[in-house]
Amino acid sequence: MEGCKAGDRKMQEMLYKQTASKMLAVCMRYAKDRMEAEDVLQVGYIKVFQKIKEYRGDGSFEGWIRRVMVNTAIESYRKNLRSLNVVEIDEAYEQPSTGFDFGTLGMQDLMKVIQKLADGYRMVFNMYVIEGYSHKEIGETLGISEGASKSQLSRARAILKEEIIKMEGFGYATYTG
Amino acid sequence: MQPIQDKDFDQLFKNAFEDAEITPSRDLWSSIESEIEPKKKRIIPFYWLSAAAVLLIATVGYLIYQQQEVKPKQFANHVEPKVVKPVIETQTVQDSVETVTVPAEKLKQALPTTLKPAEEVAKTTVKENIKTVEKQKIVTAPEMQKQEMVIAQVAQPKEDIKAKIEDAVSKVNQETVLASTSTVVKTDEVTGDDNQEESKGIRNVGDVVNLIVNKVDKRKDKFIQFRTDDDDSSLSSINIGPFKFGKKKK
Repeated sequence: MEGCKAGDRKMQEMLYKQTASKMLAVCMRYAKDRMEAEDVLQVGYIKVFQKIKEYRGDGSFEGWIRRVMVNTAIESYRKNLRSLNVVEIDEAYEQPSTGFDFGTLGMQDLMKVIQKLADGYRMVFNMYVIEGYSHKEIGETLGISEGASKSQLSRARAILKEEIIKMEGFGYATYTG
Repeated sequence: MQPIQDKDFDQLFKNAFEDAEITPSRDLWSSIESEIEPKKKRIIPFYWLSAAAVLLIATVGYLIYQQQEVKPKQFANHVEPKVVKPVIETQTVQDSVETVTVPAEKLKQALPTTLKPAEEVAKTTVKENIKTVEKQKIVTAPEMQKQEMVIAQVAQPKEDIKAKIEDAVSKVNQETVLASTSTVVKTDEVTGDDNQEESKGIRNVGDVVNLIVNKVDKRKDKFIQFRTDDDDSSLSSINIGPFKFGKKKK
C-alpha cells in the first residue's frame, strides 16, 4: 500500500490484480451489464490511484477502495440520469403469496435480477440493502426525498421477489421436465 | 415454502454479494495504467532539461573556441590572392606545371558541389555532406585562384607579358566571382536555416534550445536538437564530434 502511495507502478498493478474481481462484483450490482460495470471499474481504479494519498488508514483498505467504487458507480448513474421522475408510484404492492427455496439461489442469479431492475430501483436497493446507507443519505446522494427512497426500495423488493419466483418456477420446470 | 420477511430477503442478497468475485473479461489494467501515466511523464523532461543545459554550455564553449581558431586562417586565405601578382610568379612556373593540371579538374568538381547547399536549402532536406563541403569551400577556393593564375602563365610562357597579365587578371576575376558566389551561397544557407526555425515560433523548451543552437551552430547536424513537432519536446539528435546520436530521415 505504501508503494501505491508513492506511485510505484508494480505495486499499483499488484493492488489491482488482488482486488479487481471483488470490485467488479460491486460494480456489476450497480450496472446494467458487464460492459458498463467494467467501465465503472476502470474509472474507479483511476480514482483510487489518484486519491490514494487521501486514505488515512481508518477502516480497511479494501473497504476504502469499495467506497470509491460505489461512489464512482453512483456518479456514473447521476451523469446518465435520463428521467428523474420514473418512480413516484404507489407504495402499495402485492406481497407474493408463495415463498422460495433459498438454497437454489446463487450469486449469479441474484446479480441477474438486480441488473434487470430500473436504474433508480437498483441504486436504492444496492445502497440500502448491501451498502447500508440510510434513506436520508440515499435521498441526499441521489437528489430524491427520503420517502421516495423508501417507496423505491419497497418497489425494488417486490419486483425482485417476482423475478426470483419466475426464475425458480422455470428452474423447477426444467428439473421435472 | 412460506412468505419471506424483508429482513431475511435483504440478508439473502447481502450474504450472496459479501465475498462475490467476478473476474474482469478485458485486460483493464493496461488502460488504467495509461490513464494514470501523465503524472509521471512530467518528471522526465525536467531531467532532460538540466542535461540539455549542461550539454549546451559545454558545447557552446567548445564551438566558440573552435571558431576563434578557424577565423585567422580564413582571413589569411582571403588576403592571399591580392598579394600574389602574376608577374612575380614566373620563377615557379616550371615547377608547378605537373601539379597544376590536377587542381584544374578539382576546380570543376568543386564548383558544382558548392552550389549544392543552395538547392538543398530550398528543399529543406539538407544532407550530412554539407559539413565537408563547407570545409572545401574555405580552403580550396582561394588556392584555386592561385593555381588558375599559374595556369595562365604556363600556357603562354614567352608571349607578350601584357596579354599574359590581362589573361591572368581576367581569370582571377572569374575566380573571384566564383569564390564570392560560394560565400553568398553559404550565407544564404545560414539565414535560410534561421528563418525556417523562427517561422515555426517558440512553443516549448525544445524550440528555445533549438533556436539558440541554430544561432551558434550553423552546421546541418546541430550538436543538440529537439523534435518539437508534437507538443512534447524530445531529444532527436546530438552531434558532438565523433559522438553522434539519432535522427533518422523523416
